[in-house]
Amino acid sequence: MRRLPVYLLLDTSGSMSGEPIEAVKNGVQVMISSLRQNPQAIETAFLSVITFDSSARQIIPLTDLGSFQMVDIRATGTTALGDALKVVSNCIDNEVAKTTAETKGDWKPLVFIMTDGIPTDDWQSGLREFQTRKTAYTVACAAGSGADTNVLKQITENVVSLDTADSQSIAKFFAWVTASIGVSSTKVEDSGKEVTGLNELPPPPSELNIVV
Amino acid sequence: MIEIKPYIQKLFAQKELIISDKRQALFEEFIQNESNQQAVKTIIEQQNYLMDKWKLKNRIEDIIALQILIPNATESKEYNAKINFEKLGLNDLIFEEWQGLEEIGLQFDKETDTIKGIPNQSGELKFKLLFKVKGEDENSVPNEKYITLVVNPDPKTLWKNIPSDKEAIFWKEDDAKAFGKLGEKHIVVASNRGRSHENVGSFRDDDFAFKFIEKTGWSVVAVSDGAGSYPLSRKGSELACNAVVDYFENHLDKENFLEFENKLLEFSQTKEENLHKEIEIEAKQKLYKAVLFAHNQIKDLAEKTQQSNPELFNNPKAKSLSDYFHATLIFALFKKFDFGYVVLTFGVGDCPIAIMDKDQVNTSLLNTLDVGEFGGGTRFVTQGDIYQQDAKPLTMAQRFNMQIVTDFSYLFLMTDGIYDAKFVVEANLEKHEKWMEFLEDLNGKNEDNAKVNFNPENEQIADELAHWMDFWSAGNHDDRTLAIIF
Repeated sequence: MRRLPVYLLLDTSGSMSGEPIEAVKNGVQVMISSLRQNPQAIETAFLSVITFDSSARQIIPLTDLGSFQMVDIRATGTTALGDALKVVSNCIDNEVAKTTAETKGDWKPLVFIMTDGIPTDDWQSGLREFQTRKTAYTVACAAGSGADTNVLKQITENVVSLDTADSQSIAKFFAWVTASIGVSSTKVEDSGKEVTGLNELPPPPSELNIVV
Repeated sequence: MIEIKPYIQKLFAQKELIISDKRQALFEEFIQNESNQQAVKTIIEQQNYLMDKWKLKNRIEDIIALQILIPNATESKEYNAKINFEKLGLNDLIFEEWQGLEEIGLQFDKETDTIKGIPNQSGELKFKLLFKVKGEDENSVPNEKYITLVVNPDPKTLWKNIPSDKEAIFWKEDDAKAFGKLGEKHIVVASNRGRSHENVGSFRDDDFAFKFIEKTGWSVVAVSDGAGSYPLSRKGSELACNAVVDYFENHLDKENFLEFENKLLEFSQTKEENLHKEIEIEAKQKLYKAVLFAHNQIKDLAEKTQQSNPELFNNPKAKSLSDYFHATLIFALFKKFDFGYVVLTFGVGDCPIAIMDKDQVNTSLLNTLDVGEFGGGTRFVTQGDIYQQDAKPLTMAQRFNMQIVTDFSYLFLMTDGIYDAKFVVEANLEKHEKWMEFLEDLNGKNEDNAKVNFNPENEQIADELAHWMDFWSAGNHDDRTLAIIF
């Protein structure tokens, strides 16, 4: 079976502490519960969580929705977005199966990045690595006014922003991520085609501004 | 042994009670007093009691807060999770009792410390561990700890089965099946709407058609898969199959075809290589006309439909009207001669045709599949560019095959809904042993013990095949069509 890998890159820097980090945790939980009700997503979508603060780490390896269990995350430190891009690049190399004559590969991964700040590390070198990996699409979300959409725009075409990083906005973002994963898993199963950009995803809610 | 004197000295000092030098003798006497000594003992006992009690309370709270992660379960599926008390640091429990497990179909096996059973519902289910820790009174009320177990819904129950809209243009039956005689051979075929279509009430995109054409003795079997992302592909696949049958039945240049048959007869005598080549080229030319016929029929219908229902043609990605009817096409044309069977095939798209020899020691894949690197790279009979000279990945000429065999046991035509689930990768289609496994599967070697009895007398055969095709395969919920000639 071809899996649909989904990588969530979550900013856990100090500025996220309090309401934002709780909202992120809650968002992931709600997302999982809701995707579990989608017959295509529950079989196809595999989820991994990578957090980044002063450094980045994969806290949950690529896991099927059925077995997925969210772990506790805490907000502390700076914003090593570049490191996160390196980590996800490695994870894609190690976890996403390529198609060969003898094995059926996975679908190209979906990558969702959420950050509320400006990267504090050498993010360009991380970006160079990330750019050599094939993804179906990457969506970056700038949560609140502290995030730099110009940086995110260099990582991906698909940038959305939240006016404030409050629990309601973050919940909306995750609801939209959920719908996007649902649509992608349906699409790959039905037509054998991958989703390639923002325009093929469900329209974002009004709380999400598309950054052009 | 409690040191009475320093204790009282410390106590008095704390309370700023000064023992003057001249009262030292009196103090010595004071501490020797038995009831005073007893009082100290009692105080210390009470203090210890308070401290122990506090420690116990803390310990209980720690246990209540302790995160016990147990693997997620799936509804209606056997569950087994060991609780490793030692690893969790729960060595000090003197009493445990589980509450609320039975309601969800589970139980705790004390011998193996496992939660087991078959969950009867899904959701984030909570149950209780009642416990007492060492130090607590055996008769005290036990403490309660809540544990959450995620029970995933059984994926099978999440799929809805919504009938397709009968009022819609080009509606067709959600499922179809048939059995028939093709000369001395028989065909059983079924086409099931995929779960992904049932779930949203969309149409079956697959189709098939077959016919034994009495006046020529040739049999034709066609299978087609409409492209899910194009709205009228259900009609494209239907028309592609019917057009092929129609062509060989009604539009064939009969004299020309007789000549072709004579060459086949001649070859059976002479086995001359050049003649074989000539026949092969001619076969391609003849089949090509049927392909083109199907292509043009769809094109005509697309034009007519655009006249009558222009509102349906609103996809900015469509390059031509025929795109709305995108469908793959495979077909086999075969006839029995004195020297054996001639089997001619054509294929565009990702649906395989294979033939298994009489002794079941060899299976040949008769077409090269159009598959892209990441899927979705398939080609359609409706596409103009497959007819181009330098068409990629296959030229038109590479799409045909001719087999001259004494006999065969099975000829298979299937859509990717079957092949993806049962063969997984293209490479497996070239392996005879995989086809033998497939045959065993059809003969009942599967989870559901679903079996197709390949006996022409078997009146249930088409039902059996349709039932067999309902197999469960995670991630494979496309339409499924399988035609077997035997």
